[in-house]
Amino acid sequence: MLSLQGISKGFPGVQALTDMQLEVRQGEIHALIGENGAGKSTLTRVVAGVHQPDTGSIDFDGALVSWSGPGDAKRHGIHVIYQEFVLFPHLSVAENIFIGHERRNRLGLIDHRRTRSDARNLLDKFGIDVDPTTLVRDLSVADQQMVEIAKALVHDVKLLILDEPTAVISGPEVTVLFERLRALRNAGVAILYISHRLEEIFDLCDRVTVLKDGKYVATRMIASVERDELISLMVGRSLSELFPKRNTQSADSPVVLEVRNLSIPGRVHNASITLRRGEITGLAGMVGAGRSELAFAIFGAMRSSGGQIFVDGREIHDMTPRRAIAEGIGLVTEDRKGQGLAMNLNIAANMTASTLSQFTRFGLIDFAREFKVAKQEIESYRIACRGPSTSVSLMSGGNQQKVIVARWARTSTKVLILDEPTRGVDVGAKIEIYRIMQELADQGIAILMISSELPEIIGMSERVIVMREGVITGELTRDEITEETVIELATRRYAS
Amino acid sequence: MMSVSAMPEKDATSGAFVHTKLMPILTHYGIFLFLVLAILVSGLITPAFVSRDNISNMLMQLAPLGIVVIGQAFVILVRGLDLSVASVMATSAVVATSFSGQNGDAAWVVLAAISVGIATGLINGLLVTKRNVSPFLATLATMIVLQGLRFAWTQGAPSGNVPPFFRSIGTGAFYGVPYNVVIMFIVAIVLAIVLHRSAFGRRMYITGGNPVTAKLVGISSDRITIAAYVICGALAAGAGLILSGFVGVVDNFVGRGFELDSIVAAVMGGVALSGGRGTVAGALAGAAILVVISNAVVMFGLPVQLQTIIKGVVIVVAASLYVNRSH
Repeated sequence: MLSLQGISKGFPGVQALTDMQLEVRQGEIHALIGENGAGKSTLTRVVAGVHQPDTGSIDFDGALVSWSGPGDAKRHGIHVIYQEFVLFPHLSVAENIFIGHERRNRLGLIDHRRTRSDARNLLDKFGIDVDPTTLVRDLSVADQQMVEIAKALVHDVKLLILDEPTAVISGPEVTVLFERLRALRNAGVAILYISHRLEEIFDLCDRVTVLKDGKYVATRMIASVERDELISLMVGRSLSELFPKRNTQSADSPVVLEVRNLSIPGRVHNASITLRRGEITGLAGMVGAGRSELAFAIFGAMRSSGGQIFVDGREIHDMTPRRAIAEGIGLVTEDRKGQGLAMNLNIAANMTASTLSQFTRFGLIDFAREFKVAKQEIESYRIACRGPSTSVSLMSGGNQQKVIVARWARTSTKVLILDEPTRGVDVGAKIEIYRIMQELADQGIAILMISSELPEIIGMSERVIVMREGVITGELTRDEITEETVIELATRRYAS
Repeated sequence: MMSVSAMPEKDATSGAFVHTKLMPILTHYGIFLFLVLAILVSGLITPAFVSRDNISNMLMQLAPLGIVVIGQAFVILVRGLDLSVASVMATSAVVATSFSGQNGDAAWVVLAAISVGIATGLINGLLVTKRNVSPFLATLATMIVLQGLRFAWTQGAPSGNVPPFFRSIGTGAFYGVPYNVVIMFIVAIVLAIVLHRSAFGRRMYITGGNPVTAKLVGISSDRITIAAYVICGALAAGAGLILSGFVGVVDNFVGRGFELDSIVAAVMGGVALSGGRGTVAGALAGAAILVVISNAVVMFGLPVQLQTIIKGVVIVVAASLYVNRSH
């Protein structure tokens, strides 16, 4: 159905794809996996006509093609379901399905009755259980996704591309989605399924292609490949090499930070935690379990109701970010662009943002000293850039993350909280960040690492605290930490 | 077929040159190049345009707008907008005139006039930060209220003569350089240092670039934002005095049109309406372009109506260039 040969695509400053190949057959679900930055989305965009490849050929449906744009690819039967839906919330399901292809009557006006009945037929045909007259804004996210798929089915779709479709839905909804996708496959549609969740791929897909650093690595039959093999293909090395050697701290090192019975209405309920000097503590749980909120409250960036925070045994009343910084606490937030970086500024300014007063005299900034310190940090964190004056907006996710970690490491003399520190960064930067965390811990800083990645939690933590729906459900010591024990606590019903 | 493999490579390198070498130069210095170009072209068409007299004349025209645009740039930098500047200018001029029967206590008169600007800026800043009113509405409201107060104060009639003191600031010269131009450059240099060298300036950039980051690194964005509005108000009040001194009359509409001109000049000069980007020099260059355009139209002997049309076209061209740059 689809065959790519020797595809390369470069953007100013990056070579996104090099000599890429991919083959998707009719009636198969083909998984496309790789770390963030491996080139999955660029490849998708090339297939969908959003980008034109610099070199290479695309064979689609038996003919050599060269898309003039996304509309062209669409007309030939290639549809992409992105993570962000392109739906109009105030229009009905039926109207959304036929957007751009409105059913009209003889006067050229929209024929509402035919729109409804056609939509009904289409939804029934693929077993999608959604009322066409419902407004899209009243649908669950999973149903909205179904409407997106139905939009593609209006046309004669030959290749359906789904970009991490399960990132936005959960549990039973995933099962339903998979059933629909299998039905489409059996109807002869080729499906390219992009994901980084290996479990799903084993559940759903027929073959898998692995990408790494913009290059093709391998294509395998799902039936004849092991999970560990896929991981090492993706990462380029085995899991055990990722994490730094641990220098075990004794469990009786002094408590630096203690939180007692902290609550955030509707988010966190009666949370109590202790962090010890030089210890890396993992905070595990599902997305939405209240972990980030707890971190924000400890840092004074979110209002908490009741509860006490002690630093070195002293109670801190009315915590604010400024007080937290003064107490030697740092917070690396999850959302780099939204919360972490001032994208308009350079590396140096972002690094010194939380310690600016150290660089000023009579209110003026000592640029020479700021740049000198930034240069040192760039070296010790191995940040790839031209220099301290490089704008952070031009950097890769991994390097941006290192800038943020460097900033907060400068303020955290006692506690550093990191929220999903390796999300969206490449493996190289991941290893660096792990190394930095271990180094900081060795210097005696208490580290709280929030993470949804189990291997990371298991590989890094001395101790793991698990949250579920705003409640701390348990704490595991080094020898108790396994995938099973963490998942058990993360999904356990409390008060049972 | 042979050339097919070679062509994309060549395109890629020249594309990279445009992106990595040429675009940054244009982004950083485009407005200055444009200004120089506009002056050169006008000078070629009408040599009198670059005569000493005309340049001095243009600088004197620039002084009030140049001072206002710096304040406007400060406000826009922290994601705000100040529509009240023209109203502040007129009110400050009216207040100064009505207080200065005797010429001896000029310092007090200036202080009273500037306080109008500071108070307005403070109210704008408080509304925007503490009450979460959108900058557009908050400053529109203060603009209207000030206008009403001014009308009530002067009972609708122009309030009289500009005191000699302002007249001399507006028209006098210091070794050939007009006083108001000297004042503008001093203001520009001081505020450029504040914006580009001081911790306060850095905090403005952080606040404008990412308010969440600002909060997390312990910056009280509210205070920074209020300060920006206060500075803008004070500068507008000062510009009102200079303008009335230059024109020689005070009425209820001194500085009419300055609110939009200052916003347009700031944006043309590279101050992003989304906040966090811009320089004092760029904003000043934006204002200079507006002055050059209106002056050139007069010098060319073109109908004055053309002035606004050309201004509009230049704004559209400059704005569309920025859209291209930000992508």
